Amino acid sequence: MKDDSLGPVITTPEALIARIAQSRDRQAYAQLFTRFAPKLKAFVMGQGMNAQEAEDLAQDVLLKVWRKAEMFDASKATAVTWIYSIARNLRIDAARKAKRTRELPEDLWQSEPPRPADQQLADSQSVHTINGLMETLPEEQKTILRLSFYEDLSHGDIAAALALPLGTVKSRLRLAMTRLKTAMAALVPGDRV
Amino acid sequence: MSTPNHHPGEDLLWDYHRGALAPGMALAMQTHAETCPHCRGDLRLFDIMGGAMLEELDGVAMSNNALDLALARIERPEADEVVETVRRPAFLEGFDLPESLKAVKIKNRHWAAPGVWMAPIELEGAPKGSKTYLMSVKSGLQMPEHTHRGREITVMLHGRYRDHKGRYGPGDFAMCDESDQNHTPSMEGDDDCLCLVVQEGPIVPQSLIAWILQPFAGI
Repeated sequence: MKDDSLGPVITTPEALIARIAQSRDRQAYAQLFTRFAPKLKAFVMGQGMNAQEAEDLAQDVLLKVWRKAEMFDASKATAVTWIYSIARNLRIDAARKAKRTRELPEDLWQSEPPRPADQQLADSQSVHTINGLMETLPEEQKTILRLSFYEDLSHGDIAAALALPLGTVKSRLRLAMTRLKTAMAALVPGDRV
Repeated sequence: MSTPNHHPGEDLLWDYHRGALAPGMALAMQTHAETCPHCRGDLRLFDIMGGAMLEELDGVAMSNNALDLALARIERPEADEVVETVRRPAFLEGFDLPESLKAVKIKNRHWAAPGVWMAPIELEGAPKGSKTYLMSVKSGLQMPEHTHRGREITVMLHGRYRDHKGRYGPGDFAMCDESDQNHTPSMEGDDDCLCLVVQEGPIVPQSLIAWILQPFAGI
């Protein structure tokens, strides 16, 4: 293949996973690893793992991506969502020191009935802009999301940390979720970048 | 089949997502989510949000040989995944169990009263004092008044009942605690009830046994 010098080729993680699934593309894997391993390491360190545990977990997550690549369905989730869900499950398993690995990510994302192509497009499109959507949330809601995801706190802990009633924490999270859902649903065809 | 009307709260959904629930509670959540598109949607939204949070994060450098190690590991043969098959007790033949309950060890049932049986579910790592079991109650029975110590979750699998909070059918997630005084659920319809029950708190034998042993036929 010729390499046209049209500047850096932007390869989406979805395309990298597809290349792994189709042809066990090691170069694609290296790219994916370089992009996500440091983020995964940072993410779980924030949640309380030490550097070595976090590094091991990042390794295990991407190994699982390699092995399960053909199960990834870009019409149902973005790559980063899928990678996150694998990380979440492996972290839970590590915490429980369970021997059996749970297959929640695949179950959760694959058990849904197929949807019309429009809807699928809207979904995968919208998750690409989910970061943008989250930026539009009021600061008080973003604070709760950050404490939830980056510090792995329960709502009770968050209420204590912010000196708020539990009900307020729950309702702010619910507001954020409703807003994200509504905004994602509104990104129906015609409104794509 | 209609979708469930009674759902777990945001806090439980979140704790389930992050793996912070004890095994019995997690099983109840999983069982409910299986039949509830609404809660599955919320859980997927957590994954989407988590993915976005992951994307946004500045990475922490991996060690120097991390990529070499990663590239070496993918060449190693994959160990076969051990799939444990769980034998389903004979008394559950004919029940359409959710996937979540096909993977757990269900022990033999015992009759707690005429028309009422319980089958304990063995869960690794369950906290002492907590209990998880399947319970079947014959249609038309009414439970005598009882109160709760600690949280108790019921996920309906079959049949219907009603109590002071409303009507419950397949997939519905009901949570009771100390605040639910004078709880008298009564079975509705012609079908026997089958439900998954998770008791979080230490068992208070008097109240539990009194409740289980004294159902009476109500018309």
